[in-house]
Amino acid sequence: MTTVTTSGNDLAARLTALSRIVEFGADRVEPRALAEARQLLGRAGDRLALSGEHTVVALAGGTGSGKSTLFNAVCGLDLSPVGMRRPTTSNTHACVWGLEGSGQLLDWLGVQSRYRFNRASALDRDDNRLHGLILLDLPDHDSIRALTDYEADRMIGVADLIVWVLDPQKYADASVHRKYVTELAGHDAVTVFVLNQIDRLTPDEVAECVDDLRDLLRREGLENPIIVTTSALTRKGVDGFRSVVAQIVATRRASAQRIAADLERIVPQITPPLPPVEIDVVVDRQRRTGLTDALCDAVGVAAVADTVENVYAARSVEWVGWPYARWVTSLGTDPLRTLNLHGFRDDIRAGLTAASVSAQPAEVDNAVQSLVDGVSSGIPDNWRYGIRDIARANSANLPRALADELVSVAPRLDHVPGWWQLMRLWQFLLVLLAVVGVVWAGSLLLFGVPESQTPVPWVAAGVAVSLGLGLLTAVVSRNVVRRTAAADREHLEREMRGRVERIAEESVILPVEGELARYGEFHTALATVGAIQRPMAGLRG
Amino acid sequence: METEPSMGEQTLTFTAISAGTPDPRESAAARVEDDDPPTGEIDLPGDLAGDTVYSDFGAFEDSEDDDLAASGDDPAGSRDLDDPIDLDDPVALGDLDDLDLEDDQDDRVDLDDLAGDDVGKSDRDSGKIDAFDFGVGARPEREPRVPDPIAKQVEAALSTLRELIGGIRLGLELPGVEKARKSRQEILAQLDDYVVPRLTFSTAPALVVVAGSTGAGKSTLVNTLAGAKVSATGVRRPTTSVPVLVFHPSDRAWFQEGGVLPDLVATAGAPEQAQIVLTETERLPEGVAVLDTPDIDSVVEENHAVAHRLLAAADLWVFVTTAARYADAPAWRLLRLAKERGARLAIVLSRVPGRSKDVVVAHFTRMLEDYGLGDVERFVIPECAVTDGRLPSAEVTELRMWLAELSVDEESRDRAVQQTLSGVLDSFRTRIPELARHLEAQVAFRAEMRADVEAAYGTALAEIDEAMRSGSLLRGEILARWQDFSGTGELIRSLHVGRSRRLRAPGSKHQEPARAGTLKAAIRSGLEAVIIAAAHRASEEVVVRWGYRAPAGTALAATPGLGRASEELIRRATRAIGAWQEHVLELIRTHGVAKRSVARVVSFDEEALAMVFTVGLLGYGTSDVRIETGTSVMPQRLLRALFGAEYLRNMSAKARNDLRARVSMLFDEEMIRYADALDHAGIPDENAATHLYQATYNLEVAR
Repeated sequence: MTTVTTSGNDLAARLTALSRIVEFGADRVEPRALAEARQLLGRAGDRLALSGEHTVVALAGGTGSGKSTLFNAVCGLDLSPVGMRRPTTSNTHACVWGLEGSGQLLDWLGVQSRYRFNRASALDRDDNRLHGLILLDLPDHDSIRALTDYEADRMIGVADLIVWVLDPQKYADASVHRKYVTELAGHDAVTVFVLNQIDRLTPDEVAECVDDLRDLLRREGLENPIIVTTSALTRKGVDGFRSVVAQIVATRRASAQRIAADLERIVPQITPPLPPVEIDVVVDRQRRTGLTDALCDAVGVAAVADTVENVYAARSVEWVGWPYARWVTSLGTDPLRTLNLHGFRDDIRAGLTAASVSAQPAEVDNAVQSLVDGVSSGIPDNWRYGIRDIARANSANLPRALADELVSVAPRLDHVPGWWQLMRLWQFLLVLLAVVGVVWAGSLLLFGVPESQTPVPWVAAGVAVSLGLGLLTAVVSRNVVRRTAAADREHLEREMRGRVERIAEESVILPVEGELARYGEFHTALATVGAIQRPMAGLRG
Repeated sequence: METEPSMGEQTLTFTAISAGTPDPRESAAARVEDDDPPTGEIDLPGDLAGDTVYSDFGAFEDSEDDDLAASGDDPAGSRDLDDPIDLDDPVALGDLDDLDLEDDQDDRVDLDDLAGDDVGKSDRDSGKIDAFDFGVGARPEREPRVPDPIAKQVEAALSTLRELIGGIRLGLELPGVEKARKSRQEILAQLDDYVVPRLTFSTAPALVVVAGSTGAGKSTLVNTLAGAKVSATGVRRPTTSVPVLVFHPSDRAWFQEGGVLPDLVATAGAPEQAQIVLTETERLPEGVAVLDTPDIDSVVEENHAVAHRLLAAADLWVFVTTAARYADAPAWRLLRLAKERGARLAIVLSRVPGRSKDVVVAHFTRMLEDYGLGDVERFVIPECAVTDGRLPSAEVTELRMWLAELSVDEESRDRAVQQTLSGVLDSFRTRIPELARHLEAQVAFRAEMRADVEAAYGTALAEIDEAMRSGSLLRGEILARWQDFSGTGELIRSLHVGRSRRLRAPGSKHQEPARAGTLKAAIRSGLEAVIIAAAHRASEEVVVRWGYRAPAGTALAATPGLGRASEELIRRATRAIGAWQEHVLELIRTHGVAKRSVARVVSFDEEALAMVFTVGLLGYGTSDVRIETGTSVMPQRLLRALFGAEYLRNMSAKARNDLRARVSMLFDEEMIRYADALDHAGIPDENAATHLYQATYNLEVAR
């Protein structure tokens, strides 16, 4: 498995992915990392558009490490002034091998034209080897002057290849290692270390120094640092350095490698490495059901249905019940009358015109919250907050939306079906019949039975039948009422649930899925730039 | 004669004091006597002190003889050399020889013989002998001054300061906290390592700390001064990680008794964990100890801390830099520090290549002058071959002279010591108030963070209060259950005429009000939902508010679990609401008998009535819920009829307050988590800042 591939296509794809990250990650990624990513995108775009034939090699290092001397030694001319005073160089000097096409690049680098030199002399024997090299002699980064001048900083940020010129006295300075080397760990391919001034040491000491430096660099995360020893003063090792540079220049890949390395560095700042999980951009069946259930609870669908069923049954007694039973019940003293609460029953009835179809805002909140918690587990905090906010933005209106949607299905509690009235009339007739029968039978008993008249037992039977018919009717009606109520209840419950589900879909699920999809895109882009831990080889096909 | 310039320098000071004495040895001896008011005559210890100094110089001379490279033409050196005529007659060298000196010289001879083989060891050995022979005798001379009342007061003020600063907690990641923490550490270390020992043992040897960049040649310089390889040198950077303290054998008692750098020296006995290496050498003048420190700018950052700690304990700073480094930013940061502290400073510009010496020295001098350090002593050491970790002795002659001057001239040493000491005490004037200001900021910030929490939960409580009153709770399930309860006639059935409540035996045939039970459950879950939603929002609010208070607030806000209601809240809320409902039931029970006239004729089911009461309490009829007649206050009517308006108001107020109290208690428990997170970051003492100001003031008064 390759860790970093730097083929042109791959880099382009990763840069595109980075631009998608910048696009999707606004407000979700730490602003500083985002700004840096934008900067890198800009820089990469510029650099890749400019001369790919040239490789910008910057000589960086502390004051007095011999950057200018080495620069002059590589150029073979005294182009950059050297001196004993520290710091010496305060402007970037550039020397170009192969002038054509370099002008724009140098403009972009910001090298002043009076410090540009052309080294396209046919006299050079290794002219060809170094063709395409732009060698920069940077000011130092560690003197008191550098505290107010960021020229070196800037150049180190844009050069294709950084050559750290170190010397035996300063090679372990914190100013190089903490600020740059550790930061740029992972830039192995585009970093070269030169241990200069080896003329000051014995060969043994040089070896010790190089070992120590290598150890130090390894500890800082550079696996295979390229270390070259030179003495710019005596020109020892300068040719070796030239050929190292020549090799890198010849590949014409340093600029792309540099950008790839910068990309590697930026990615962890955007996000800590994420586990390779599949991102669900749709809310699954179970969670949808969960949300609908919770919202139904907030509306109290079951309770409303219960109420409708119970109140229907209770009220039906007045209409379709057996009148005699009602009269017996009402014979007792009415506590309301005792309490002087006249019209209290009407008050109660006034509160019972229509079934309640409103939602508890707090319960709606909690329902939405638990959905958000469910779908956003394993998602970075900032994105989770995003999902939460978008879900909540809609959930604020949710109770009202639910009420509005359900009000049309809410049954009236004071509705009296036609057959109830018929039954009442029928019962009334039966009572009347019974009364007539009783009166008739009574008069027969009192005044004797005329010959042609029906005998008393017949009349008694008729009364009994009317009473029995009334009871039977009441019983049957009650059963019918129960069955109707149960059917109504079921229908109501199903209808309400369906509407709640639709509202939930519209106001919660869809926006949340939109945000999830955005995160999915972001996640894919992250995978492309390499921020997702790759699954262990062998775990997946 | 090659030794002339150096001897000239050496005698310069002496002659200035005891003019007219032709013999430098005699003058040196006389100088020692002069410094010895109690004795008044040449007594043995005084004599010995002088002799010891001399024997050192003798050794020094020897090495000069070996190395013909005299430093006389060093421009920097010749600055100090204003009276070269005072050269002594070498013949006079023998004049003062007495028996003790003979002994001493015998020692030296041994030492010199051994120097090539195992210098450190022989130094130690001979040092021991010296200490036994003379050290004890010499010591009392150096202890006279103090304890005067002023010093006592200063000490008391300092120990108060020490205690206060030691007790400071800086837990919150405010801007500048790193600086404040560092400053606190520095002040503490400085008090422990330097100020207190320096005041207590005011005559202890002057501690000269050699500091500078990595690879500047600090160890080489110390080795050269010590005349032996006491500190490792090499090409690896950084080279020195354990500081090396070099002193004259007769000063040993000071260092071993822990008067100087007590913490560090305490570990010197166990070499494995030594934080400092103690070495004795007679090459150093008495009364001056030299400390080789780790670097200030290498990649090993622990070294910087050690170096700075040692610098804080120094009486004199010797700053070493090189021709390649003199413009480095870390070097100038150190110089700035020295300037701020008002420390007595000497600057050594080392490794100067011969060909560029004039340019570099002139440039460096100008930089120093621009920086206001033009009058600091400067020494230039040219780049030269290092053998056995040492430079040719001649290259450091001037520096050695400077040290010797400090050794012999107590007044000048005291001046140097006092300069640094008062520089440090002066610096407290600004550093401690700075620390106190930061402490105040911490306390204020903490208060703000707490206020955030209280505001968020206060809002939540108000929301719940509002929900309780406005009838907005009477929706959804609660309202449906209420309709069920009232519409099915259960409400009216719960009232009974004529049967006194007390007469109704429990378990009578009267059926349990089932719908009242479901209503009760609905109310409970509704209230719970409101509390949990409010608590959740409050916790989010706190995290958001804290998040605005970057970076300290952000760090604390990231504490896991703070952004949501706590796990136990649901359980606690259920319990609290349950308890409240019991409380309401109890209210109904106790107040039920209130209206005697009613109680005689009507009894009621308490469970059911409690529900009526609760629904009334929650604002039935005031809500925006559609109740078509709008103004129906049915529950209130019933309740008023049962209890009377006055009692009803009382009960309502009681029930409301009880619920409010229970919810606040729940929220208090929630808020504890934030308080814990804050406390976890350290609890600053609210009055510490004031005490610090006071203590600083006291110190100023005491001085």
